[in-house]
Amino acid sequence: MKIFQVALGILAAIGGFVDIGDLVFNVSAGATFGYQLLWVVVIGVVGITVYSEMCGRVAAVSGKAVFDAVRERVGFKAGLGALVSSQVVNLMTLTAEIGGVAICLQLLSGLPYRWLIVLAGAALVVVVWVTAFEWIERIFGYGGLCLLVFAVAAVKLHPPWGAVGHGFVPHMHTQSPLLYAYFAVGLLGAAMTPYEVYFYSSGGVEERWGPKDLGLNKVNAIIGYGLGGFLSFALMIVGGALFLGQGVEPEFLGTIALGAEVPLGQIGLLLALVGILFAVSGAAIDTLFSGAYNLAQFLGWEWGRYRHPRGAPRFTVTWLVLLVLALGVVLTGVDPVQLTEYAVIFSAVALPLTYIPILLVANDRTYMREYTNGRIANVLGVLYLVVIMVIALTAIPLMILTNVGQN
Amino acid sequence: MSRSIDLGLNVLDHQLLDAEERRCGKVDDLALEGGPGEQLELVAILAGPGVWRTRAGLVGRLASWLGGGGRTRIPWEEVAHVGSHVSLRKRAQELGLGRGDDRMRPYIEKIPGADR
Amino acid sequence: MVETESGRRLGRCRDLRAVLDTRRPVVRELVVGRRGRLEHLGIRTRRRNSPDAVPWEAVVRVEGSRIVVRDGTELV
Repeated sequence: MKIFQVALGILAAIGGFVDIGDLVFNVSAGATFGYQLLWVVVIGVVGITVYSEMCGRVAAVSGKAVFDAVRERVGFKAGLGALVSSQVVNLMTLTAEIGGVAICLQLLSGLPYRWLIVLAGAALVVVVWVTAFEWIERIFGYGGLCLLVFAVAAVKLHPPWGAVGHGFVPHMHTQSPLLYAYFAVGLLGAAMTPYEVYFYSSGGVEERWGPKDLGLNKVNAIIGYGLGGFLSFALMIVGGALFLGQGVEPEFLGTIALGAEVPLGQIGLLLALVGILFAVSGAAIDTLFSGAYNLAQFLGWEWGRYRHPRGAPRFTVTWLVLLVLALGVVLTGVDPVQLTEYAVIFSAVALPLTYIPILLVANDRTYMREYTNGRIANVLGVLYLVVIMVIALTAIPLMILTNVGQN
Repeated sequence: MSRSIDLGLNVLDHQLLDAEERRCGKVDDLALEGGPGEQLELVAILAGPGVWRTRAGLVGRLASWLGGGGRTRIPWEEVAHVGSHVSLRKRAQELGLGRGDDRMRPYIEKIPGADR
Repeated sequence: MVETESGRRLGRCRDLRAVLDTRRPVVRELVVGRRGRLEHLGIRTRRRNSPDAVPWEAVVRVEGSRIVVRDGTELV
């Protein structure tokens, strides 16, 4: 029974890994550089695995979620800076995900986009309000598994497997190194999006994880994100096999779904759209709650999905307000895919302030006792801190120099 | 053996939990009493938006104004335990904490399904 | 900044170390200097007995942001 539950959790994690940022960056990277950037996805996936495991462990042993750690390690002033920047990025991501939901609904139904935005917003509120939370995770996680159609598509497109294999070896074969670097930073940012750890660690606290759950935490992080990374590979391979050298920039979610339609026909298209719909809706819910978690944790308010709304009133009002704000922004007609690129790049800048406090708490024996970071976690943790610093410093300059990946 | 703690690291900015484990604010500041030549004692915890103004310059003052500027003083005698969080002996209401959530609750309760 | 009466600088005060077994926490030491800064972030270095603090009893007066300690005070 226990193994069954673990398996269910892992399935949900796979479906939950891919969001609109991963879809856009993986397929565009494939369309622009073929299979060359596959190695970057490996680095990103290992990074999110390391830090998720650490956040989960901190949550299980000390009961501290990410923004509890941020506040107590860097204080009110710097913590407020971290809060504001993470909230801005979160809201951008949320807006992009909701736009993505509306686009999927439009492709599936043919109804007008703006109506569907409102419908998507209303549907999200209803689902979140009436559905028990373990079910939300499962429904959207399993629905997201339809994205596995891209793995089938990747095989059916018969990519040159030698070139695919070579993609896992870091190399650069291009006339435009800046664009290559921009995509590398984008792929890392998309894989290590901070809302994933906000949501994961808060969930651990909510489910009252203790030291006995540390095994589950490790398995969840390694297998869940590992297989999520597998989906990213599939997306990039499809992008490379189908769009490279065609002059097609997958600037629309519909183009991405085309990646499954070309080799598999109507059924491929349908599965791809349903998969994208569930994955992006799930990510919208995750980002929505992450915003409310962060604010509540920073200010010490009561929070939690498992407390009913009346148990955590300010937390509830926060996510309702965030949803209304995001809907307002989508309704202005901003392009969700374009917004995704900005959200991923800006989130790269917010990464250090999220991950440094976690690394500090994970090393504090007072709170972590015998579960303090071991050598492997620390070597990887520090290594990734360096990677994160480099992307944080280069993300915005690269975005400007490459005109948001356009040249 | 006496237990030694660093007030800035182990108390300041930590989560406050009331007697029923309800989250009811952060340790926003500490009140110390005593001067050179005397004993320097931690006498109270200060919590609430009114305290933020002293902690982050202009931004802190803005945050404090947005938060309504209230502040609560909790005598150290009300602290039950200092661990990962700071646990209090009484309920939040008795200490004047968590009032923001209490004020908001009646509105949330009007929405069907809020106490599911 | 923590200084001695004759003006020798010992470092910035990073934290206050108190004992918890009394009715109220009583401050025993000021955590000072670069090592003190690391300690304040929760990074404990391996050498347990390397000096990073001055006892509160050594404090003579506090003048704004300057904390003056008795001459001859060393980090403990």
